[in-house]
Amino acid sequence: MSIEVPVKATGMTQSLDSTAASRDVQHPVAMQVRGLNFYYGTSHALHDISIDFPERSVTGMIGPSGCGKSTLLRVLNRMYDLYPGQRATGEVIFDKQNILNSGVDLNVLRSRIGMVFQKPTPFPMSIYDNIAFGIRLHERVSRSEMDGRVEDALRRVALWAEVQDRLSASATALSGGQQQRLCIARTIAVRPEVILLDEPTSALDPVSTARIEELLDELKTEFTIAIVTHNMQQAARCADQVAFFYMGRLIEVDSTARMFTTPREQQTQDYITGRFG
Amino acid sequence: MGNEPAHTITRYDQELDRLRGIVARMGGLVERQTAQAIAAVVNQNEEAALEPPELDPEVDALEREAEMLAIRILALRAPMAVDLRVIVAVLKMSGDLERIGDYASSIARRAGKVEVLDGAVSFSALRAMARLVQENLHMAVESMVENDAERAQEVWKADTAVDELYTTMFRELVTYMMEDPRKIGPCIHLLFVAKNLERIGDHATNIAERVYYAVTGEMLPSVRPRGGAARTNVEQPE
Repeated sequence: MSIEVPVKATGMTQSLDSTAASRDVQHPVAMQVRGLNFYYGTSHALHDISIDFPERSVTGMIGPSGCGKSTLLRVLNRMYDLYPGQRATGEVIFDKQNILNSGVDLNVLRSRIGMVFQKPTPFPMSIYDNIAFGIRLHERVSRSEMDGRVEDALRRVALWAEVQDRLSASATALSGGQQQRLCIARTIAVRPEVILLDEPTSALDPVSTARIEELLDELKTEFTIAIVTHNMQQAARCADQVAFFYMGRLIEVDSTARMFTTPREQQTQDYITGRFG
Repeated sequence: MGNEPAHTITRYDQELDRLRGIVARMGGLVERQTAQAIAAVVNQNEEAALEPPELDPEVDALEREAEMLAIRILALRAPMAVDLRVIVAVLKMSGDLERIGDYASSIARRAGKVEVLDGAVSFSALRAMARLVQENLHMAVESMVENDAERAQEVWKADTAVDELYTTMFRELVTYMMEDPRKIGPCIHLLFVAKNLERIGDHATNIAERVYYAVTGEMLPSVRPRGGAARTNVEQPE
């Protein structure tokens, strides 16, 4: 009779974080938010938010309407500056600088931190000029170089094949999904470092949505991406880390796999499982 | 796991309740099968031996029902977090429960073939093992129904004793067979009974592991504490 050697138990429990399913590479931080508070007039919209946005990865921001996720997105490129009475305190460190400081050149900032909105917002001009417009604002480039930049941007959002024969046609004639990809092309044409997306697919059909999501997967090899979404499955599909906001507070942020299988906070669990109020 | 606030969508809660109800019923049935199988062997209760195989089709049907419902919920509700963990746990537990039922039936069928060994040392070891396995199975089913991670962990630890008893029985029975070749037949049947009991204990432990994961989101170590200084290494034909 042969005898097997007993194997000792390790006495350790395994969590998802110890498996390959979670973030395998630690990216350096591209943007660092520390102690951020935000006010719409007297209304306190964001409470003491601290969160890191790792470079070349997608951060998904979820939470019920009015939780502050879009507000945070608007702080990250100082979009709120357009409105009087709105102010932010705390720090948003980007390239070693607090972008909330008054000395920051907003035009430069917004060329480095681009934004895509919920509804496609093509300018009422040609497809070509939609892309060229942003580049011209920040740079002086020759016609041939501009052609190259426009083509490159359109290729990267997988729109080139569909529009190359009608670059001078009006952008408003494109389908919703095409328009949104055009807007993303317009954003990346100015070569930003960070792309902020506010519900970029909520007005699109499932096929267009899948294309945008596929696009994000490619873009994240180069850009830091933050996406606000109401669609939990979308956050699960696209994001590397997910942040849950509720009533102006950041409740929890963790790797996507961890957030959707084993969130630490009861509020997160109640929200993502559909048990909310 | 069941102790959570209600979903906004009421039908989702109803579906999850139904799913939990199915495995709870399976748990009750296989506990009954195991108890009767043990009674059939240990008390030589011929009538008890009939029941486990009779209950098998019902257990099998419930397993299929659990599987179909779990797939349906996965497809239609896209469950997350605790819901997802519960559904995956149910899928696996229903398989464990079905196997327990099979082992109980197998034990019951051998009941009439081991009585000549009544009075042998191994038979009292078998009694002790049967009691332990029954207790563990009961605790595992209870932890499942009550979402009790602590109790699940107790079950997980308690399997060690079952393994130890099985190893003891194995050695004794080998000695018996060498001493008296006429006892080889009954001894082998008894060994199978013991092996099947040990397997039931293992599946009870599996159930406890699933419960622990569903409730806490953490997995217990893949290697559980093993009983006995040694494990037998003989191929066991079913």
